[in-house]
Amino acid sequence: MFRFYIALWASKLMMGFYYLIKKPKTDMPGLLACKMCPDFLEKISKPKLTITVTGTNGKTTTSTLLNDFLKSNGMTTSFNDWGANMMAGYAVNLIRGVSLFNKPKVDCSILEADELTLDTWMAKIKPDYLLVTNICKDSLRRNGHPENIFNHIEHTLRILGDKTTAVLNADDPISSELGKDSRRVYFGMSDTMSNPFVNISKDIAICPRCGGQIKYDYRHYRHIGKFKCASCDFKTPQADYMAEFVDLRNRTMMVNGHEYPLISDTIFNAFNVLSCIAMLKELGYRDGEISGFLSTQKVTDIRETCVEYNGIEYYTFAAKSQNVSAASTVFEYMAKEPSIKDVVLLMDEVQDKNHPTETLTWLYETDYEFLKDPKIRRIIVGGHMYLNHRLRLLLAGVPEEKIFAVEDEADIPQCVEQEGIDKVYVLYETDCVSKAKNMRDSIVNYVKEGK
Amino acid sequence: MAKKIEFLYPEYTNIYGESYNLEYLKRCNKEINVIETHVGDTPRFITGGADMVYIGCMTEDKQEKTIELLMPYRNFIIHAIQCGMIFLVTGNALEIFGTRIIGDDVMSDENVDIRGLSIFDYKSVRHMREMRHNSQYIGNFDGMIMLGHRSQYSFTYGEFENSFIKIYKGIGMNPDTDKEGVHVKNFFGTYSLGPYLILNPPFTKYLLRLLGLKDNLAFENEIMEAYQYRLEELRRTI
Repeated sequence: MFRFYIALWASKLMMGFYYLIKKPKTDMPGLLACKMCPDFLEKISKPKLTITVTGTNGKTTTSTLLNDFLKSNGMTTSFNDWGANMMAGYAVNLIRGVSLFNKPKVDCSILEADELTLDTWMAKIKPDYLLVTNICKDSLRRNGHPENIFNHIEHTLRILGDKTTAVLNADDPISSELGKDSRRVYFGMSDTMSNPFVNISKDIAICPRCGGQIKYDYRHYRHIGKFKCASCDFKTPQADYMAEFVDLRNRTMMVNGHEYPLISDTIFNAFNVLSCIAMLKELGYRDGEISGFLSTQKVTDIRETCVEYNGIEYYTFAAKSQNVSAASTVFEYMAKEPSIKDVVLLMDEVQDKNHPTETLTWLYETDYEFLKDPKIRRIIVGGHMYLNHRLRLLLAGVPEEKIFAVEDEADIPQCVEQEGIDKVYVLYETDCVSKAKNMRDSIVNYVKEGK
Repeated sequence: MAKKIEFLYPEYTNIYGESYNLEYLKRCNKEINVIETHVGDTPRFITGGADMVYIGCMTEDKQEKTIELLMPYRNFIIHAIQCGMIFLVTGNALEIFGTRIIGDDVMSDENVDIRGLSIFDYKSVRHMREMRHNSQYIGNFDGMIMLGHRSQYSFTYGEFENSFIKIYKGIGMNPDTDKEGVHVKNFFGTYSLGPYLILNPPFTKYLLRLLGLKDNLAFENEIMEAYQYRLEELRRTI
């Protein structure tokens, strides 16, 4: 344990330094701890409650809601809320939760966790709950395909055994199959009449048990919905927490007979709220406590912001480039959202320009076809992939006159309309929050300066 | 005259949107008709019902199943290749035509060892517990500059006497070779994703001519401009 304590104290010292220079959201102390003591994550004490949130989409929103609720209810928590969702981030999370003598000093750790490396690290942390929001198509170059992610999460649950309860999405034909040997709790949603578009690329093509055809009574979005196999008994499992009467416009839904507010008008955020409710109900919280808390919540600023100028609302809206399912779902939202709008695609990953492993592939799995909707007046794309976006938009059937493709992103503001529209959406890769806000502000400033 | 392109087992072999290769060919020429052959169906090319066969990337589990499905037709495939049937094989679909696929597995401590179709003499090695390999290449085939993007957990090893592309920037079938893919008669196989025909419009033209069709491309100016831009970018950055 000597080595462990040296690592703990050194990392706490480093953490103190980062607090002093006002940069507390770094995973460097965690990296140091794990380098000094390779089994640091096993040896560090865990609080009495540890909840891990993983899945392709919705991890940040769900884990933030959980953390904020528990804190608002008087619990002390540690939370890796700065996007460090691997080894070093977990280490910092847990270091914050112990004293210098490795005694737990928080009631709960919320761990937002990367799916791909889950089996490596969660086997050491042994969380009490593993909440899986969904498994969808994600970045090809990092995660490969959904079956690969399923295997990593399933492997994790097999290692953890009955120590961990799996909280699962009943309406996801991929992740609902997880944890056959674990205690499982399901959340699900009745028909929302959302009439989802058909995606060109499927998250799951055939029944995972028999290879038969998957049929749906209804879908919410992508492959999420009430499913059954045409050839075997594979079907949506019975949900322990069932959302009904989901009213996205008025932002309410009923879960097991109690009304809850929603934090936005998107179906995917309704699922995030539902998964959070399921988790909190499992912990024994009352409906009123949860709904009261949710009524004070909105989508986190790193996912969506808005400013208004001269009657037009200018949004930044996270779309996750290369994450095919997230980008397509946002494109679908753009088509269905009733305002007249211009859409700016700022979706190239920052690192790609210098290390161009960025592919065309995700463009052809993502439903650019949804952007044909007449309510979208202009689609403006910039950056080094601009010609590829233009070609993809043309092949998707978007009229040429609606496409404004510029190499230099600085030229984007002059392409955005200044009248005759209700909104401008800057869709951005989640690593580029500041860049997106700067672009949105440049567009607004361009209008203000009357150019 | 209409040309039939057989898309083999789309429920298995379309995990990265590879079907857009065929969608693009259809956009280029209205005489192209894509026929999907599903699991359980007899492949059309066996009976001369296709002018070209396409098979794309698949999950590791489906590689094994696809080998099982095609093994009864192994001799037909060899015959079809010798007779000049056009095959386009992309991503890890290339591996199933080799002798073996070996390597590790996420769910088990035991290594996998899968017998391939043994149509070509190479073997593939999976590294499922390591970081996924991503890279791009610039190469040459028949005077054309070919661009490729690989995203994979495995590499392939062999002599590669019948390689498709000579790589001059990037890597080939494994990090120690500049030979990429397989080219025998009109069989074209590459690890590259893409969609490959969007990434390589000169090769798309070549393929259309091979099919006996005019080589006009859909959005030809736009796709060629994107290709040239990408080529210059990769020349600077690989």
